[in-house]
Order: sequence, then C-alpha cells, then structure tokens
Amino acid sequence: MNFWFAVFRQAGRNLRQTWTSQLMTFLTVSLSVLIFAFFYLIYTNMIGASDRLSDDLRLIVYLEDDPGPEMQEQLRRKINNFDKTEAILFISKAEAYERFAKQLGKDSDILTDMPKDFLPASIEVVPLKSLRGYNQIKLFSEYLATLPGSEKVQYGQEWVERFYYVTRLVTIVVLLSGTLLILTATFMVAYTIRLTIMGRHEELELLKLVGATNNYIRTPFLLEGTIQGFMGSIIGLCALYILFQWISRHFAGPGLLNIFNFSFFPPMVIVCIIFGSIGLCTIGSFTSIQKFLKI
Amino acid sequence: MSRPVPTQDPVETKKLPGNTMIEMIKVSRTYVPDITALSDISFAVDTGELFFLIGRSGAGKTTLLKLICNMDTPSKGLIEVAGHNINNLKGNKLAHLRQKIGVAYQDFKLLSDRTVAENIAIAMEVSYKKASAIRLRVRDLLDQLQLADKHDTLTGDLSRGEQQRVALARSVANSPRLILVDEPTGNLDATTTERVMELLNRSNKAGATIVIATHDASIYKDGNHRVMELRNGKIHSLSRNSR
Repeated sequence: MNFWFAVFRQAGRNLRQTWTSQLMTFLTVSLSVLIFAFFYLIYTNMIGASDRLSDDLRLIVYLEDDPGPEMQEQLRRKINNFDKTEAILFISKAEAYERFAKQLGKDSDILTDMPKDFLPASIEVVPLKSLRGYNQIKLFSEYLATLPGSEKVQYGQEWVERFYYVTRLVTIVVLLSGTLLILTATFMVAYTIRLTIMGRHEELELLKLVGATNNYIRTPFLLEGTIQGFMGSIIGLCALYILFQWISRHFAGPGLLNIFNFSFFPPMVIVCIIFGSIGLCTIGSFTSIQKFLKI
Repeated sequence: MSRPVPTQDPVETKKLPGNTMIEMIKVSRTYVPDITALSDISFAVDTGELFFLIGRSGAGKTTLLKLICNMDTPSKGLIEVAGHNINNLKGNKLAHLRQKIGVAYQDFKLLSDRTVAENIAIAMEVSYKKASAIRLRVRDLLDQLQLADKHDTLTGDLSRGEQQRVALARSVANSPRLILVDEPTGNLDATTTERVMELLNRSNKAGATIVIATHDASIYKDGNHRVMELRNGKIHSLSRNSR
C-alpha cells in the first residue's frame, strides 16, 4: 500500500462519513464563487465599456469667434503646455455648419433659412489615452474653460460623471463581496474540516499512537479542501455561465448590453478563479488540521 | 533473553550497553494538584526480554506504560526507548518509532464503527504494508486468537473479552520491536488466556521486547522472567522468577 492510496482511501472515508456537512460546505463554496464571480464579471465588463467610451472621449471648447492662424497656434501651445494630447482640431463656424448638415442628412433642408455662421467655432481636444481619469478630465476641462475666447467646455460631463461613480461603486462592491466571500468560504471549509476532525477524534488519536506520520493524517484533509475548492468553483462558474447566457439571450439587441458588449471571462481568469478557490479551501483545511496536530 | 534485532526503521537504533530497549532513570509523574502516580522509577529492560510489571490497581502500571509509548510525559526524569530520549522525539521520527511499538491499551482504543479486520489492519496501514500482506496477517492473527469468524464484525458488537483480543492482535500485527500490554487477560477465561500468552511468547521468540502490566499471577509465575512490582507509584521489588 502506498502513501497516496492510503490518502485517497482516507479522504473517501471522510467524505462518506460526513457527507451532509461536506455538501453544505460545497454549496457555500459554490455560492460564494458565483456571487463573487458575478460582481467581478460586471466589474470587468464595466471596465471594458469604460475603455471603449474613453476611446471616443473628446473635450469640445466652444469659442466666441473663429480664431485666426496665429491665435490657433497660440491656443494649441497653451493646451499642450497644460497636458499632452492625441489631437487638437479647430472647427470653424462654416465647418460646424457643414458637419451639422451632414448629420441631418435628408432633413438638412431645415437649415436653408439659417445663416451659415449660426453655429459657434470650436476646438476638439482628444486627450492622451493614459490621461483619461475622471479627475484628470475634469481638471483639463476647467483649464480649457479659461482659454481666451472660450465660452463653454463640453465632454458629456453628466454621463462621464455617472459612469465614473457607478464604476467606483461596482469596484467597492467587488472588493467587499470578494473579501467577505473569500472569508466565508475559507471559514466554512475550516469549520467543516474541524467538525470532521472532532467526529473522528478517536480515530485520529489512534492513528497518532500507532505511528501515523503527520502527513498521513493531514493529507486526506487537505485533499478534501482541494476537492471542495475545485468542485465549488467549477459549479459556481458553471452557474454563472448559465446566468450569463440567459442574460445575453434575453437582453440582446439595442440597449445597455450593446454599449457594454457583455462578454464572459477569458480562460485565464477562469483558471485564476478555480486556483484561487482551491488555494483558499486548502488553506482552510490546513489551519484546522494543524491545530489538531499541535495538540 | 537479549538478542539483536535488525534495524529496518528510519529511526536508527542506537546500541546501548547491554542492548537496552527501555531505560528509565529517576522518572516521576505527578498530576495536579499533587497526585503522585510514579516516583523515582529507575530500571532497564533488555532487547528481546519478556518483562512483567505487577501491582494492585492504582499502583502506577498503566502510567508507566503510557510514559514508555509517549502517550504521557514524565514530570521528571529520563526515558529512553531504543536509545532515543522519547520525550525529545517529534514529528516523523516519533511516528516511525511508534510504528515499532505495539500497545494493547487497557481501554482497548478500538474504533467501534469499524470491523475487527479494519481495526487490526490500521497498525500496518500506517507503515504502508501491502494490502495482500495485511489481509494475510489479519487472518493469521484472528485464527491464532480464535476470532476468525469475527473478521467482518464491528468491534462495537463484540464482547469485552473479544475486544481485548482484537486490541492485542492490533498491538502485535505490525511485528513491532517493543510490545506494551496492559492487563491482557483481565476479561479472558483460562483457555483464551493461554492462547493470548502463546501469541505473546511467539512474538517474544521472534525478537520482540514485551512488557506486560498485569495483576494476574497465573501468567507470570512460570518461567524465568523479570518481574517488577509497583506499590503507590514506587518500585517495591524487582526480581527474576526462579522457575
């Protein structure tokens, strides 16, 4: 008989004898993984959406008048002095009129009676991708408002602000739920293993007396923790995938999900979640059995 | 009675003068508040010796056996088993030494929800004996102790006499170099007592050192064995049977 045969037989015996508490722990781990992964999935999708939105982000500075070439150069220098940019575009009143007419398409005839300079001239500033934090954009827009001839700065403040706060809220929820669920899963596994140890105290004492090594006693419990972590994470992730498919099917089409381009975890994240769950459950088992082995 | 025993275990046996298996020097054990179970016990048991420990109930026999197998620690004094200070051994070294010590406890320490065979096998499983060898050894021991028909019976369903024999079978199953037996015949009739003693004598002839704690004079009165009597936790006498 070799070590691993003995370990697997012992682990099987443990699982058989304490299957009710094992089942409860397994469900707790699955549920913990499901809840954590659910929030994490929302978080990663929001981050993805935020990246996509920031690709289109530009600050529009409305000017009192069309700036001449010298003024344009001066404004460009002032903007670049404050922060580096991807691009700075000057839109004259006439260009603004043409763009608007193009956007209206078939309905552009409503502009026939309007003067060609009724729209204000503007500067479109595309900030660097690395400098697109909410506070940086806000500071930048405040600076742009102080430029000579500037009337108003627009960058979809309300939308950006709301999106920023929602992202921050989801981040906090993910961090909090993650921490709490990690603790819950770890304690539940540790508690189940402790119950198993208490229920089999006589046997474990006897094993020590007949010369079982600590590894012989410890490894089956670690294996139990590993199995709990593995099975729990697999079931939790499967449940999340089913939920994801259901949401994708029922909320597909134009709407919020299109903005989000809702997608599931990449394989690497799935592997990380599974290994994280296995690691935490094994740690839970380890701490419980170590306490017994020290006695 | 001294005979060399081949060393196979990871805990290497240090050869002491006179090939000593157990050596106790001024060992005392007191329990709170101030109960003295053993006081200033000094003696040695040679390798391969059959040694009897006698005395009335409460004399300290069980405590002495518990100290030898490291189930309990002395308040004072030194205990060496196979050349090792047993109270300094920890972890794997202690485990490997324990695999070479078979103990039949007074309270049997059987797992009542396991079969007779499983209870006996446990001692061999921890040292990774082959499953086929374990099966053979278990059958052989059950035959010797007239328990062959109890192979698959849960030990919780056995009589005390049968449980005692299972505990004894487990203690000798792994062919240990040291066997400690606490009251091996307390619940047995004369015929079964004889069989139990035959089993122990066979183990002794195969090289095992055996320490038997008993107050049954019938099992130690014959033969040329050393007998140590404890009274109130102290050595009252240590002599060799002349017959």
